Amino acid sequence: MNRYNIKQMIQVSNLSKSFDTIHAVNNISFSIRKGEVFGLLGPNGAGKSTIINLMSTILKSDEGEILINENDIKQNSTICKQLIGVVPQEISLYDEFSAVDNLIFWGSLYKVPAKILKQRIKNILKLIGLYDRKDDLIKTYSGGMKRRINIAAALLHNPEILFMDEPTVGVDPQSRNKIFEIIETLNQQGITIVYTTHYMEEVERLCKRIAIMDAGKIVAQGTQTELQKQSNVKEAVQITFQLISEVQLEQLQSQLQIKINQSEQKIIIECDVNKDLSNIISICNKSNLRIKDIKLKKANLEAIFLSLTGKQLRD
Amino acid sequence: MILTIFKKDLKLFFADRKGVLLTFLMPILLITLFAFAFGGIGGGSSKAEPIKLLVSDLDNSSDSKSVIASLQALRELTLIPKEVIEATNLVHKGKNVGVLILKKGFQDSISAGNNLPMELKYDAAREIEMGMLQSVLMQSLMSTVGQKSIKAKMNTYFDTNFSGMPQEMKEKIFNNMDAIKGGMNTSAENNMGLKMTSIVKESTKIGNLGLIQAVAGTAIMMLLFSIAAIGGGLLDEKESGTLKRLFYSPLKPTDILFGKMGAALVLAILQLVVMFVFSWLVFGLPIFKDFTSLVLMILATAFAVSSFGIFLVAIAKTRQQLQGLSTIVILTMSAIGGSMIPLFVMPAIMQKIAVVSVNYWGIQGFYDIFWRSLPLIEILPKMGILVAIGLVMTLISVLLFKRNVLKLMHN
Repeated sequence: MNRYNIKQMIQVSNLSKSFDTIHAVNNISFSIRKGEVFGLLGPNGAGKSTIINLMSTILKSDEGEILINENDIKQNSTICKQLIGVVPQEISLYDEFSAVDNLIFWGSLYKVPAKILKQRIKNILKLIGLYDRKDDLIKTYSGGMKRRINIAAALLHNPEILFMDEPTVGVDPQSRNKIFEIIETLNQQGITIVYTTHYMEEVERLCKRIAIMDAGKIVAQGTQTELQKQSNVKEAVQITFQLISEVQLEQLQSQLQIKINQSEQKIIIECDVNKDLSNIISICNKSNLRIKDIKLKKANLEAIFLSLTGKQLRD
Repeated sequence: MILTIFKKDLKLFFADRKGVLLTFLMPILLITLFAFAFGGIGGGSSKAEPIKLLVSDLDNSSDSKSVIASLQALRELTLIPKEVIEATNLVHKGKNVGVLILKKGFQDSISAGNNLPMELKYDAAREIEMGMLQSVLMQSLMSTVGQKSIKAKMNTYFDTNFSGMPQEMKEKIFNNMDAIKGGMNTSAENNMGLKMTSIVKESTKIGNLGLIQAVAGTAIMMLLFSIAAIGGGLLDEKESGTLKRLFYSPLKPTDILFGKMGAALVLAILQLVVMFVFSWLVFGLPIFKDFTSLVLMILATAFAVSSFGIFLVAIAKTRQQLQGLSTIVILTMSAIGGSMIPLFVMPAIMQKIAVVSVNYWGIQGFYDIFWRSLPLIEILPKMGILVAIGLVMTLISVLLFKRNVLKLMHN
């Protein structure tokens, strides 16, 4: 299917929201396609949670428009609320209730019939791997388990869109991986996911498209490749030779026909790593250059973010 | 380390200005309130409001009018002339402390030196006011009709036992007795013949006054505290994030507030029921004597109190604020409304202020059921006021909830 024919699930246009003198969200626009995992990446205070609150209808924008599956959230907030599930940043559960009682409560708010709700709870608990602990009180759960129930509580009304606001904050790597698996399964089932985080590796793993946010603005958006182009961050290979003379270096430069930065026995070659690396190694071997070490410098999101905003993501 | 923690906690405390204000304002207000309640304002020179005494003059003679005039001149009393039946009803309903009835033959009895045909019908629920009233009445009656009555009595005695005693000698004896005033006063008081009748007859009052005061007063005050605590759960939800999650769902803000109010109302009803059942089992409070009125009164009180509790929660923005606010407001309402100190002990000005309190209407309603044995129709206005208080508090809570809780949640 042509990408232009894919249905837009979320369309945000010229959205702004201020709190007193702080512009939390400043004239931003983006759209998200059905079945997409869209990442909102930015440091704390960038405006990610405000966007989630605006899209989930609990905050009113000062300016701009949000369409959820073509429904204006200002006019059809009840319809929109049925379409979306929200996984809040805080673990918003009742500690004194069991997992199943929490899920029954949260599911009942969406008027899911009791029989269907019971079956859904069973399926979701199995999906998140906590069916065996369903009757335990939430206060006896580990942080990672609570996070999984926090996700489950947003799925009980079968939402088409899932907003996940930093769903892995404070969890161990094992639980984080489990959460990633859950998200991937949900996405395979066709749920559109908006994922906010300040962890680049999460976005890199999960999101097809990314919006990079800073100080209430979207500084760039697109796939990782598109972001790389926008930021002018190049991939590079750093090769350290055991010994290389100036003559050999000139020969290598003419053979590769690319710019080489040299420092002592090291050279840094800006290139498309996936496409050019094998050719570079082959030429080095033919020139009898003995390679001591090869390092790949990928154009990752950290470098892209630094290039676009001039600051580290965790600032 | 300790100093760092100390500084941090003080900084946090003083950052919540409303909380700080309440923390310091509360004891000041309570001290002022109790000083008023116990009459300690103004260096002990504060004057009590005059007691409103109903009076029915059935004799309509010069002597009865003279007695009424002398009573009217007293600053401790305000006399209100009324027909006997109407006056008795007013006292029965607790509107006035008592009615003084000067019966037919009052003047003749004075002239004949007989016991005076007069009666004071009073509300036993206002025991302390009654004590003051009785003392004022005796002094006044004695000075106006007491001596005249005794002289008449002695005259009759002399005429019967010492016929032919010259008038000059009689006068001499009377003058000598005047000189020994104390003895004459005692004699006069013993002969006044003022009949004292409690308007709530033993057969109709269905509870012990002290017990009713203790049960109704304490129940309403404790209910206010527990409802404020239940409502405080809303602030806990805000802090834990579950409130925000509730707003993500299709619920309306008022659904959440009314849900909380419903829970608070049910718990309030349960708490009152438990308290009254306990009082029945342990103290023998006859709760089944007028069961319908009791049930309706419990419902009205629970509604007013639960709405008031939610109102407190709607104003407060933090747990600290709620704690300070609920303590100050509940203790104030309980003090002026008669939960802590029976109303009749308080100065008249405090009794007037009491009507602004939920406690007052609740306690008076339970008095009407257990002490005054009023029919339901007569208690309905008090229930109506409680329901009206509940409705007003609910309305204000809805407005404040939308403004405060939602705004805070978004920030």
